[in-house]
Amino acid sequence: MKNNIRVERAIKNITQAELAEQVQVSRQTINTIESNKYVPSTILALKIGRVFGKPVEDIFVLEEGD
Amino acid sequence: MKTRFLFPYWFRYLGLACFLVHIPVMLFFSQYHDMDNPQPGLFTNSHIFFIFTTLMVTVGLFLFAFSKEKVEDEQIMQLRRDSLQWAVYFNYVILIGVLIFTEHMEIRHILLLNMWTLLLFFILRFQWVIFKMNWSARKGD
Repeated sequence: MKNNIRVERAIKNITQAELAEQVQVSRQTINTIESNKYVPSTILALKIGRVFGKPVEDIFVLEEGD
Repeated sequence: MKTRFLFPYWFRYLGLACFLVHIPVMLFFSQYHDMDNPQPGLFTNSHIFFIFTTLMVTVGLFLFAFSKEKVEDEQIMQLRRDSLQWAVYFNYVILIGVLIFTEHMEIRHILLLNMWTLLLFFILRFQWVIFKMNWSARKGD
């Protein structure tokens, strides 16, 4: 699964730490999600979608083989 | 995030204290006890000494292993589960190895080994992955 959180953050002009605080996780978790090392739960994905005001599919995209 | 079955964050320091306290106790009092030929019977000096130091280490490791992290989130939970699984595998490999490759090892020693390897390996593995994660997060900035 790919995601474009980094791009969305740049558009909204917030840091990893600010996003982390808004969705109540650690900054490290946002970092590992952005670098595709960690797949967030549905709840966390929905929360991230809410912060950016976009549906989850716009932020998280399935890849071949998922 | 709601987490169940975990001690508060500060319990890790309590655990660490328990573990550290046992070291001087062990060093100081072990001179007065003949560890290889303990006095027989329950609640003799050697028995109480043994229970005290063993319990100190076990409770210390236990509290340290199962106290919350500073920020508890779902990734930490996942790392904890992974580490626990690894620790159980590791523990059984060690245990089976010991059973196969040692002859007539005292059952008490096997018990102690079994009691501590699980917790120790879990703590080491869990702290290591957290350290690695923090490291790469700092580098990624």
